[in-house]
Amino acid sequence: MSDGVGVGPVGVEMAAGMEASAGGAVVGLSQDETTKRTLGIGFWISITWITVIVLAAALAPWLPLKDPDSNFIAAGERPPYSPNGTHWFGTDQDARDLFSRTIWGARISLTVGFVAIACGMVFGGLLGMIAGYFRGWWDRVISFVFVVFLSFPALVLAILITALLERSLRTISITLGILSIAPVGRVARATTISFADREFVLAARTLGASHRRIMIKELLPNVLIPMGALALLGMAVAVVAEGGLAFLGLSVEKGSTWGKMILTGAGSRDLQKAPWIAFAPIIVLFLTVLSLNFAGDRLRSYFDVRETAL
Amino acid sequence: MRVEAGAVLLELDDLKTHFKTERGLVRAVDGVTLKLRRGESLGVVGESGSGKTVLSRSIMGLLPSTAVRHGSVRFAGQEIQGMSSKQMRHLWGAEMSMVFQNPLNSLNPLMKIGKQIVEPLKLHLGMDKDNARATAVQLLRDVRIPEAERRLNQYPHELSGGMRQRVMIAIALACGPTLLFADEPTTALDVTVQAQILDLINEQRRDRDMSVILVTHDLGVVAGHTDQIAVMYGGKLVEYAPTKILFADMKMPYTKSLMRSIPKMADPSHSRLATIPGRPPDLVNPPKGCNFAPRCAYAQDRCHVEEPPLTEAKDAGHVFACWYPVGSPEFERKDAELQEQGIMPADSAAVS
Amino acid sequence: MRYWLQRLGAALALLLAVSMLTFGAMNLLGDPLFNILGPAASDTSTEEGRQIIADAKAEYNLDEPLPVRYVKWGSAFVTGDFGVQFSVDGQPPVADLIKERLPRTLMLLIMAQLIAVTLAIPWALWSASRADSVVDKMSTATTFLFIALPNFALAVLIKYVLSIKFEIFPLIFNAADPFWTRVWQMVMPALTLGLPAAAVYQRLLRTDLITTLQEDFILTARAKGVSRRNVLFKHALRPSLFSFITIFGITTGALIGGALVVEQVFIIPGLGSAIVEAILREDFPVVLAIVMLVTAAFVVINVIVDLVYSLIDPRVRAS
Repeated sequence: MSDGVGVGPVGVEMAAGMEASAGGAVVGLSQDETTKRTLGIGFWISITWITVIVLAAALAPWLPLKDPDSNFIAAGERPPYSPNGTHWFGTDQDARDLFSRTIWGARISLTVGFVAIACGMVFGGLLGMIAGYFRGWWDRVISFVFVVFLSFPALVLAILITALLERSLRTISITLGILSIAPVGRVARATTISFADREFVLAARTLGASHRRIMIKELLPNVLIPMGALALLGMAVAVVAEGGLAFLGLSVEKGSTWGKMILTGAGSRDLQKAPWIAFAPIIVLFLTVLSLNFAGDRLRSYFDVRETAL
Repeated sequence: MRVEAGAVLLELDDLKTHFKTERGLVRAVDGVTLKLRRGESLGVVGESGSGKTVLSRSIMGLLPSTAVRHGSVRFAGQEIQGMSSKQMRHLWGAEMSMVFQNPLNSLNPLMKIGKQIVEPLKLHLGMDKDNARATAVQLLRDVRIPEAERRLNQYPHELSGGMRQRVMIAIALACGPTLLFADEPTTALDVTVQAQILDLINEQRRDRDMSVILVTHDLGVVAGHTDQIAVMYGGKLVEYAPTKILFADMKMPYTKSLMRSIPKMADPSHSRLATIPGRPPDLVNPPKGCNFAPRCAYAQDRCHVEEPPLTEAKDAGHVFACWYPVGSPEFERKDAELQEQGIMPADSAAVS
Repeated sequence: MRYWLQRLGAALALLLAVSMLTFGAMNLLGDPLFNILGPAASDTSTEEGRQIIADAKAEYNLDEPLPVRYVKWGSAFVTGDFGVQFSVDGQPPVADLIKERLPRTLMLLIMAQLIAVTLAIPWALWSASRADSVVDKMSTATTFLFIALPNFALAVLIKYVLSIKFEIFPLIFNAADPFWTRVWQMVMPALTLGLPAAAVYQRLLRTDLITTLQEDFILTARAKGVSRRNVLFKHALRPSLFSFITIFGITTGALIGGALVVEQVFIIPGLGSAIVEAILREDFPVVLAIVMLVTAAFVVINVIVDLVYSLIDPRVRAS
């Protein structure tokens, strides 16, 4: 889902040695001074952008936008028109307003991303927690299923499903949702394992709590934190995957999506004559994916710090 | 540039080493002045955080980029304090070398032992492959490693801890340095191996007319293996004396406390080791007056206000920094008081 | 030995599961008959029409239940018989298609990985040796941009800059051109796949290098008088390669997925476009063969990763 490879235990022999001799007091500093617990300005900029895009997409029908499907052909000039006062992002070859198409496109692209990762969170989270909590055969079977899904290119499975079924918003979302089960599930499993042996879980077990109760009351809240960070990263992946499908001609059939818009402008002639057709949606898509990635990444390291402090 | 045995090899003058950190300037070494003659060995003793490790690395110039050095370091008559790593590289391994605390971490785990010993030989002495290998075998024999030829093709993880430390020493000795730093060389080793390693270093020192700086937290380690002892606290030298004189007549209450933390053979097993209460001083905002005063059972009002200067004791070459040293009337009065209250163990810290 | 047997078992189970999944999905979701016969597939009004359908079903084993068909396909597949392509005009063997398409995709992937690795290693060494400086922070930000940029968007960007603004590389891939011309034509697609991979590698390698550079043995090397350069190359690099090698294997899998899109954008008739076309045609044998090939490649790469691991680390070799 990202380059989420665990960075090995930080061998700070030298650093620790230096630190210890450099100032014994450094070692014993109070927590709030050594570990800076802030999300940083970048995180808030990212969140702001995501909020703006989500709000614009949600409110698109009520915003004073031009009709995304109308052709605004100006007399005496052939489209596409470059960005100007009336068409902020310019228009495409059919003289459709790119600004409003980008915002309407966000509706579909973000819905796909959101439904997909929600699917992954619910089913992947559940399977991962079962595997991590019960271990044994449950774990072996579920982990194997995860490996199967992870071991061949996700996009192949996606095109397999989307090519054979009708290409509705629902099919695409669910397809990408199925694909996000395995990656999310693996993280859920790993996190569950790391918590399943902690004192508070053992304590609950010795007090006779049922498995269901332990999983919901004790494990779920702890698993949710890293999963929340993962959700943002996963949503970015799903939004990108939709674009990939669009490039293969397999995205949602009706309406505009970012992927389809980029494809519209990606031909060599269009790139040469009217690069804005491709670059307007590319920039918006890029900023959105970057924000999701960045916010997710910050959140992840932010909570990792807390985990080690536990 | 070669220094005769017995002549001054290393001279520190008011050496300071500070680290820039987010909290402020950490004064890890704060004005150390001393001299070391060729062939002599010096023990640098102190708790962790006293600046002893930084001192040794500062002399060598092996510091992270956040470090700032002031003062003077003269090695074989040459000022090396302001030298760049590029210039120092010709001294490292050739004229001065270092043995570290943990022999597993300080050997490259993915490189054969032979290659690690040969590396400095090729680098500084320009030896060819065969010559370097032959020298490496001889070095391994010098440090008493059995089956030396076979070891060349082994990896560090295939050897025991003591063997690895011997290999480290062989690497350090490879180019015949005149100054060897040994930074807690035995701390990570079994007790039985510790003495062997220390004896080995000492024996090589005598054979090669080499100077050794032995850094340790353990006064017991330096007792039988050094000519001079420098006691460090809070980045400063607080007591300095020839080994015998120091043990016979230690002046600093801090040195005495260090002594008390050595386990003694005569103690019943499982008896608790005395540790020094409190924490080492904050080196960003050091306490006013004597650094040790906040933890010193004998501290009086003056200690908290005025910093004691290094003062000469009655024996030659013995200096200490304390207002009320062991043996002074104020100290004795306080000691008697404390013993009445039963706070301090009534031993006089005599070690034979 | 036992470890390798376990690995082999797991690999076989994986191939079996993937083939079942693909086979099942294709047969349950699609209608192969329609793709063989076209509209005639539903023409049951005449005796002749029924006969055509029956013949086709018999020829492609479509009459039999799914598990039987799976076993028949599978037993042929393991003997190297990948079957024939579904098509109305003639029945070219699947193997021919793969033989024609595979080298191009292989070339793309190898070039992409070469670009990624040759960029990432010096870049990581450079960054790690000045960790946390301003230039290092800028380079880390750059990696973030590359990772966040979707491959199709990067493809469009590269096409725009390198081919349209500055006419450096040709837009057309021609399989009939001589080798080095094809290499030149493949640079843009390979960059599209290679640059994000380089960014992933760089980030990982940089972190590991920084960790390694804090190890005591690095200090030992410096204390021996080894130059900065040689400390980096001879002492720090090798111990820092472990997670890089792991991610190299995983990334190869991801690149195969990326190749689907990139081949489409740059119009390269490789395996990626072959499978896309085959899926759209519902040409089951082709899809199955390519999916199996890709999965097998994934398994093999992971075995290679394990082998390289033990080559690098004597401690792994011993155990």
